[in-house]
Parts: sequence; C-alpha cells; structure tokens
Amino acid sequence: MEFPSALFPSYFGAGPPREEGGPAPAAGWGEHGQVLEAGPGRRQAETTFVSRCGGAGESWEPADAAAVPLLPPNAGCWVPAVTPQDILYHGVLRRKLQAGKSEAALDFTKQLRHFFVDHPEDAFGSLGRLLHQNFYLGNSKLRVSVHPEVTTLLPTPSLAAAIPSFCPFSSLQRRARDCTIRMTALREEISRLEARRGCPRKHLVPRLRWFSHLSRDWLFEVPLGLLADCVHEDLLLQWGSLLFDDSPTGGALAWLPPKDVGARMGRLVYPGGQAMNHLYFQDVVLEELPRPRGCPAQFELNGRIRQVAAARVDGEDFVGVRSDYHCGVWRVPGRTGATPTPLQVIRTSVPASCLTVSPHLSGELAVCTQSGAVYLWNVETGLQRLRHDPQTMFFRDHSPWRWSDFTAHPRVLSCADRTGLQCLDTRAPERCQFDLFKVGEEAGCQQGERVVLPMYLGRAYPSQHLVSTQFSVYVLDERLPLVPMLKWAHMMKAPPLFAHLVPGSPGRSHKVLLGTSHTQELLLLQYQGEKRGSRGGSRSACQLAGPLQKLHSIASCLQHLPAQLPHQHHLLQQRLSAPAAGLAAALQEDGPRESLTVFQLSEAGDVIINEEEEEDTGTPAAPQEAECPQEPCASPQPSPAAALRYRRWVTALCKGCGEPPQRTRPPSFSQKRLFTRKELEEPSAPSALHEQARQRLRQAMRDGGRIRHWDSPPPDLPQPLEPAAGPDPLSTRLTAAWCEDWERWWEERTRFNVAQRQRALRERRRRQKRAHGRRSLSASFTSS
Amino acid sequence: SFHEYKLNFKKSKEMCLSYIQDAMLQKQWKRAAEFLTFYIESLEKNFSAECTSPSEVIWRIGTEILCHHSHSSMKEFNSFTEHVKTLGVRRYLKVCLEHTFHLLCNGLIDEAYQNLSLAESWRFGEQTVIQRKEMKLIKAYRGLLDYYSWSKQKNILLEHGQDGFEDLSVEQEMHSCFRKAAVNLEEIIKIPGVWDLFVKCYVDLLEFYGDHNEARQVLSEYAYNSKFPANPNAHVYLYQFLKRHGESKKSLISVLKILHDIVPSHELMIDFNIMLQKSKKRKRRRLGLEVIFAVLDYAGWKENVKAWSCLARQVKQIVISEKHLDWIKQEWNSRKDWWPAFHFSRYLAKKNWQENESLSYEKALVAGILLGKDCKYFKYVSHQGCKAQVKRLRVLKKFVNKHNPVYLRISG
Repeated sequence: MEFPSALFPSYFGAGPPREEGGPAPAAGWGEHGQVLEAGPGRRQAETTFVSRCGGAGESWEPADAAAVPLLPPNAGCWVPAVTPQDILYHGVLRRKLQAGKSEAALDFTKQLRHFFVDHPEDAFGSLGRLLHQNFYLGNSKLRVSVHPEVTTLLPTPSLAAAIPSFCPFSSLQRRARDCTIRMTALREEISRLEARRGCPRKHLVPRLRWFSHLSRDWLFEVPLGLLADCVHEDLLLQWGSLLFDDSPTGGALAWLPPKDVGARMGRLVYPGGQAMNHLYFQDVVLEELPRPRGCPAQFELNGRIRQVAAARVDGEDFVGVRSDYHCGVWRVPGRTGATPTPLQVIRTSVPASCLTVSPHLSGELAVCTQSGAVYLWNVETGLQRLRHDPQTMFFRDHSPWRWSDFTAHPRVLSCADRTGLQCLDTRAPERCQFDLFKVGEEAGCQQGERVVLPMYLGRAYPSQHLVSTQFSVYVLDERLPLVPMLKWAHMMKAPPLFAHLVPGSPGRSHKVLLGTSHTQELLLLQYQGEKRGSRGGSRSACQLAGPLQKLHSIASCLQHLPAQLPHQHHLLQQRLSAPAAGLAAALQEDGPRESLTVFQLSEAGDVIINEEEEEDTGTPAAPQEAECPQEPCASPQPSPAAALRYRRWVTALCKGCGEPPQRTRPPSFSQKRLFTRKELEEPSAPSALHEQARQRLRQAMRDGGRIRHWDSPPPDLPQPLEPAAGPDPLSTRLTAAWCEDWERWWEERTRFNVAQRQRALRERRRRQKRAHGRRSLSASFTSS
Repeated sequence: SFHEYKLNFKKSKEMCLSYIQDAMLQKQWKRAAEFLTFYIESLEKNFSAECTSPSEVIWRIGTEILCHHSHSSMKEFNSFTEHVKTLGVRRYLKVCLEHTFHLLCNGLIDEAYQNLSLAESWRFGEQTVIQRKEMKLIKAYRGLLDYYSWSKQKNILLEHGQDGFEDLSVEQEMHSCFRKAAVNLEEIIKIPGVWDLFVKCYVDLLEFYGDHNEARQVLSEYAYNSKFPANPNAHVYLYQFLKRHGESKKSLISVLKILHDIVPSHELMIDFNIMLQKSKKRKRRRLGLEVIFAVLDYAGWKENVKAWSCLARQVKQIVISEKHLDWIKQEWNSRKDWWPAFHFSRYLAKKNWQENESLSYEKALVAGILLGKDCKYFKYVSHQGCKAQVKRLRVLKKFVNKHNPVYLRISG
C-alpha cells in the first residue's frame, strides 16, 4: 500500500482538452514518455534511469497458429447482425468512402417496403379483411363515391372504397371520374414496373402515384405518418448502434479461477442459446488445450444477456448478469462441482448499462441505468440509490451510458459517464465525493475523447483504476486523482469495450487485455507498479512494460478450418466474423513459466480460446535476444489437437445449424395460381380410376417403393444396335489386352467385321433393289 | 488523372502502414523494417495536409523497431534520430527529448547532456505552446543532469575533504554545476505539474548550501499551491524535510493531518498514529484513533499486521482505562454494518490463522472488543489458539471475557 516515492514528471493543466484531431496513426510507439532515476546502478555514483514507456517486459508467444474453439458451436441458427448495407441508401456507401465525410442517408423507403411485404397482416390487416369479400380484380374500377353524409361501399362485384372527402355535391360527377382508377391497368403497370426493377431510369407511374394518394388515408392499419416516424426512429437507433453499440460494454464472459492454487479446473460463465438468453456455468480443465468437462449448469433468463461480471469474496464467487431490463446475481459456492444458486433479480424500467460485483463484500453490486441513476445493490439490504442525474458530470454529452465500479475503500464507489469518473462515498453520496478522472487538459486528453470503459484494477494493486477511451488507456491512482500514472495510445481501430486484468505474481508484470467488439481486436499490454527500487525499498512509479502485442482474433480460425463448399465457407465466415461479446483470461503457472488462456465470446455465442505462452528468454531485460527466431513464419499450421477441434466444430455447426430450412426447400408455387377453382374442385364421388390410384399409392407407401409403375409400363426402349450380349467393343478390347490375347481378339474382331460388312452389304443391295423398284414406280406416276 | 493517382497513392500508403502495424503487433520487427523502407516514399509525395505528417509516423515506428530489432545498435539509433530531427520542424524538440530519454535509459549520460544542450540552443520562429513546454522540460532535464554531476563532485570533495586535501578546480566546477542546475530546476517547479524528481534535487541543493528557508518555501509551495495536483509526495517531502530539521511536533502533525485528509490510506499514517497515540493531548489521541480506523478501511491494509497492532493497542488502552469509550463507539457506528463482513468473517479467520498467526491475534482482540466474545472471528481464533495452546491467546481470551460489557456499551 505504499505510494511511489517519486512520480514521473508531468505538466498539470486544467480546463478542456486542447489537442485536436485525434491521435497520430502510430501514436503509441516510439516514446519513452518520461524518465526517472532508478537508484544507483552497479557502478556506484552512476545514476540509472527508467522510462515510463518502452521498458522491457515479458515476451509472450501464441502457442498455436490461431484461436481454437473451446466449446461446440452455439445451438440455434444465428441471425446475422444488421450491416450498413441493410439500412443505408444504396450507392451512398461508395460515395461516402470517396468523399470522406458525409451524412449517412438511411434507406427509409426500403425498410417501409420490407415491412409492407413481410408483414402485410400488420400493415393492412383489417381493411384487407373488410374488402376481401368484394375484391374482384376483373375489369373493374376502383370507384369512389361520395355522399354528403354517408360513404358507402358499393355492393357491386367491383372494388369499392370510400374516401372521406368533402366535395360539393354538384361536382360529384367530375370528382368521381377523378377518383376512379382502373385496377387492371394499374396491375399491368405494377407488373411492368416489376420487370424494370433495377433500371436506373425508373419513372413513377402517375396512376400509381394517384392510387397511393387516394388510398393513403384509409388503407393502412397504422396511420402512415405514425408508422413512418416509428420506422425512422428505429432506423436511426439501428444506425447509431452500428456506429457504436455500448450495450455489451464489460463483456458477457467471466472466468471463475480454480479454488485452490494448484488446481486446474475453473468455471466459465457465458451466455448462449438462440437469443443469448441462457446462462451457462461450464467446468473447464486447463490443460495444453483447455477442454470443457461435464455438462454445464444452465439457467434460462428472459432477456438477452449483455454483461456477465464476477468477483470472488471470501472464497465464494458472485456472478452478476445484466440484460436490458433485468439484473441478477448468482452465488457459486467454494466447493468444486457445487451448483450455482440464483440469489436475487431486480427489474429496471430503463435499460441498465452497468453491473459490477464488489470484490470486498459478499453480495454487493453496483448498478447503473441509462436514466443516470447509480445504485448500490446489496442482496440482503436491497437497493440504495446513490445518484440520479441525467446530465453528465463535467461537460455536456448526449450519451446516457453510465458506469460504476468499486474502489479500494469498500464504501466508496466510482461513477463514470462519457466525460469522466467521480468517486462517491455511499454513506454520504451527496457530500463526500471527488473527481478521479476528467476528459480534459488534466490528463492530456484529445478533443472529442470519451470514456469507454473504466475498470478497477484492485486485484493487481488496490488503489489503481484503468480508464480506456477510444484513443488511449490511462492508469489512475485514487491517491493522486486526475493525474494519470500511465497514459498510452492503444491505436485500436474501434473503442475497447472489454478489458480483463491478469494480475502478475510478485516481481512480474500485470497484464491487461483489451478487446473491441466489431473489429475483434485483442491486445495484450503489460505494466509494472510494484518493482521495488534497489535503494530504500520504496515502490517505483507505474511503468508500461514490453511491446504491445496482438492476439489472435476469433476470425483467425477461418483459414485453418477444413475446406468447405463456397456457400458454407461464406456462412462460416459470417459466423466467425460476428462481433466479439466478451473476454476473459486464465493464468496457469508451470513453475517459472506461465501460460495464458484467453477466452473470447462472439455475438453468435461461440467461445474461442487463445493460448499464449511465455517465451524462455532468460532474463526479461534482454529484449534484443527476445526476438523470435522463426520470425517470418509464413503461415504456421495448427497442432493436431487444434485441427481436430476445428473439424469437430465445423461438423457440429453444419449439423446443428446448417442452412436455414427455407433455402433447402425447392421453390414452390401456389396451386391457386396454376389452376382455376373449377379445376381444383373435387368430384362428388371418386371414380374407379381414383380408387385404383389410391390403392396403389397406399401399397407403394407401405412397401416404401415407388409409385411410378401405376402408370402403364414405360414404352420399350429402342433396341441397341449391337447384340446386347457382350459389353461394348472398347471394354472387350481392353479386357483382351489385359489378358494378353489381344491378337486373338483382333482376329475375331476382323472376322466379325467381315461378316458384319458382308451382312450390311447384302442389306444395302436389297434396299437398293427395293428403292429402285419404287422409284421407277413413282417416276411412272410423275411422267404420266 | 492526378486526382486518381493521389487517391491510389493514399490508399497504398495506408495499406503499407497497416502492414507495418500488423507486423509490429506480432513482434516481427524485421518484416516491419522492410515495410518501413517502402513507407518512406510517402515523404516524397506528401500530398496531404493532415496534421500528423508521415515524418512523425516514421519517427515513431522507426524508433520502436530499432528498440526491439535484434541487429540494431546505438549508433544506428543515433543516426536515425538525427535524420528524423531534420525532417520535421514542429517535432524537433520532442524528438530531441525522446532521444535523450533513450540515451539516459542506456546509461549514456554524457551524450544525453550534449544532446540536451544542442536542443536548448535550437531556435525556429515563434514557438507554439507545446514547444515552449518541451523547451522547459529540456532545460529541466539538463538541470537534473547538472545536479547529478554536482552531487558526484560533492561526493569526491567530501571524500577528499576527509583526507585533508582540497581541490579548488573541482570545487569551482561543483559550484558552477550548482548554479546551472538551480536556475533550470527553479524554473520548472514553478509551473503546475508533478515534479517530484526536480523538487527533490532542488531542495537537496538548497539544503547543502544552507538555504533552509528557501527550501521550506519551495516545499510548502509544492504541497499547498492549489494549482498543483494533490500530490501526496509533496506532503511527504515537506514532512521529511521538517523532520530532518527537527521541527516541532505540532508542525509535523499539521502536515500529516493534511495528508490524512487527502490520502487517508497513506503509509505515513501508521507513523502518524504512533505519534498521536504517544501524545498527552486528548484531542490528538482521538485523532489517532480516527486515523487508524480510516487506514483499515482500505482493502490494501486488510492484512497489515502493523496497522492492526496499532489499532489493537489503542483500543486496548481505551478499554483498560475505561475512558473515552465513546470514541470507539463513534468510529464503530459508521463501520458496524460492513466491517464484520469485510474484516471479521469466518473465512478470513481461518485464512489469517493459517497464514499469519500474529495478524489473527491482533484482529481477534479488536473483534472481541468491538463485536463481543461471540463473534465468529474471535471464537474461531480463540478456539484454534486453545487447541494449539498458545499462551498469548489464552491471555487474550481472558481479557476479552473480562471486558465483555464494553462491547455492550459500544454496540448499544
């Protein structure tokens, strides 16, 4: 609990951030940040220095060529996520790429059209039923008649509808003509339009336009304006979540480490099922290639699981689960194999955005909702609201996202929004609070920088916190708020939504894993804060150790999966490139060497693992030698065990999920379109032929045979020219050649040929003779 | 067309950069270096008016590669940096500073000093805010290096002084080092920031020349100026300075009181508590109890024997004297709903007993008094103690049983 005796030098300014334009493309590299005296070196009198960044760290190497599936694929067909192509106006994407910046144009009409086509019952249900009786699309007219008081549907065999319009009685005749549309012509035009689909010079047909104008007010189940508003709002939401979706913040994967130090079996908590609403507790044995053991304990929840958080207090694990409107807590007792027990569930009226479990006191959690409320949730005493403020803390930001975590003091909680972090005492939340982090000049932030994920680093060091933004990660100490102990640009393409801390044993670096959702990036960074200086034994300040490392993403499996048919390959590709949804890691110690197992969860519910091994490099202070000897490894092959996993996984995926059943079914036609009603009508009494046919059908079904032969036997096939006795000449020749009496065959053949030719010659002559006779006959006719 | 060419060039430039980054993230430094040689072409055709020019990217990536590449040497690193310095005017000072850091980390202090002097003499038009800051840092680091050579000469002189041998030139040089160092260090520590290293060195200089008043002022300015961040080290330095110079207990206590207010979990709080416990004033002893309770609120102190023994001693004192039980009651009031689960659970009793017997003894005493003899922690530890026949624990059990009514008064 000692504070470093000297910190790295830094300027301290107050106010909004000044730096513009975001970080440089390689902002995280090539800097030492600052230096600090590290105490006297080996030679007396000489002072040695350490730098804040760029120091030497442990070297980690992936143990396998790619990530490997841990569990069989999540059951149920996965619905691919919405892509920009689905909701953006066609053609805008390309233009946008060229122009750089332009507003996204949402393809609103396409969505509305999909809605009408896919849900006609919801769109036009009641009026459709009403009109159905009178709907006859003969050569009739959509006639509209208007009476001053009453509008009636004409009971003629024509379509009739009423438009409540207030036109003078005298001009009824003229109006009626205006309000009449010939349906057949309209239908023809629609089908012509259909044929010209995709044609750039598509003109709207005036008749169609007129029809939609006439029917706008009465045809739709939901008033069109209202419906359009709703669709538009949903589109905006979808687009917003495509740009940045913060609901999975924190990640829905948790690793409960083994209870005893030497044990190898821990538990993985993850969501699954078709709607990701099943919670699984799966025992996992950590081996060379970790494997699941036994069946998982399973709970069905009534909402998609967004976040799974876990903490161990007094030897018991507490697992918090957040879905949009419900949060629950489970207790996993210390005994191995004990079943987890659900403790309590709370319901929120506004979606919850955060759930963290206290590492200090059992059964305590922190909950935040999007309305800006922060609660301390104790399983025994219930909920305590600490703050309710829809406004952000330090400056105005529209995001309703809130986060809360625990600190070194069990009664003090940190509260975060996009603008920064504050700590508040739960015993007097209004009075006792201080600012821990501010997006501003204090921490040297960039303009537009926002907090994405705060995390309490208590397991590594009791008073430190990690704050990640879309540009950088910061390590903060509660004892010196606002000034980051460590700042480092992470250079990730998307904001890191998941983070996992792997505390190192004394003398080793702590590892932090950062993960993004859509781009599936996974970074490993190391920092040190407990290295004691040789003099005095005081702690040295926080330092970044070793180069940053990228770990295999979920999609890296793809190239090692067994070869597939193109469409299946595409399916696999889609499945594996689903956004990541969670991150967890387990550290194994094999004597002096450590290995790290990183678990990743995808939104499709697949759990994939990465194995990382520490390299044997002797002293970690020699990064020059630490370079891997097999450096330009072209494309390493997966180990046999991993290859087996891949094969099994793909087989299970194809069997379990396969292709959606609609696609495999052959195209079907409605028989109503092919036959008239009269043709479809059943005869009053079945004829004898019918009876016979039915009997045969039954017989065939009983035997499991075919029903083809209830037709008359097929017509005789044309007789083969060659005598059917022997096989074709080529085969016989080859057989003969094989038996080494090819010559005999040849002789026979020639003899046969001679005989054949003689026969053919004879035949020809006979025909000629006959033809000659006939011709002479016809000639006599013509000549006469 | 030219526009298209520009666009294609930009695209391939970005692609090249992403290849480099990919290689670096997988620690394939050789491959990254090869790609970087291609990327350098982007310097020639710099069409973009972006704020981050390719030269900065090249500098950053090149430095990182040279730091990790197996065949790189200091010479190569230096020549690369010299090249980069000429590339961008805007980043000149930053590159110089980073170069210095690299030299310092590799123990090349003289080269670093030269580098800093060169950078200091650099002039180029109007300086931006960032450049001004960087220039001040450069000066400060030069001051720091001056300080180190000063202290080296000081050590030489002190050693030789013992031999009765005086060297005027060394002494003169030492004084000139002092002047150079003092000027630059004094300048930077006036600007708000975290300057632990510089302040320590500057105070050391002043103390050596006997300017205690100035040193004291510098330290209290560093600790109490509200424009500076609330750096606990600033208070620690002030406290250590005052202690060194034998200041009165009152002033020491006032410094530590402020430190207690901003960082209740600081390790000096143990010393503070001991100091206050010894005091004859009631108010201070009261504060001492508050301080030690506050320290033990924090997770980092949970298993610290020293802190627990401080608390145990003070609580025992109070219980024996039977005066000021209300102090304990007041402190306990805000903690009684969570300390039992946080400190005195059965699980912890077992764990503490297995790992650290003396810790469990101290904790059991506190638990026995605060929660009574029926509390889980006390029961477990005394039971185990009886089994193991530890004499200390038998005494403890007797003590707690005797003073059980105290618990009723505290909890009531």
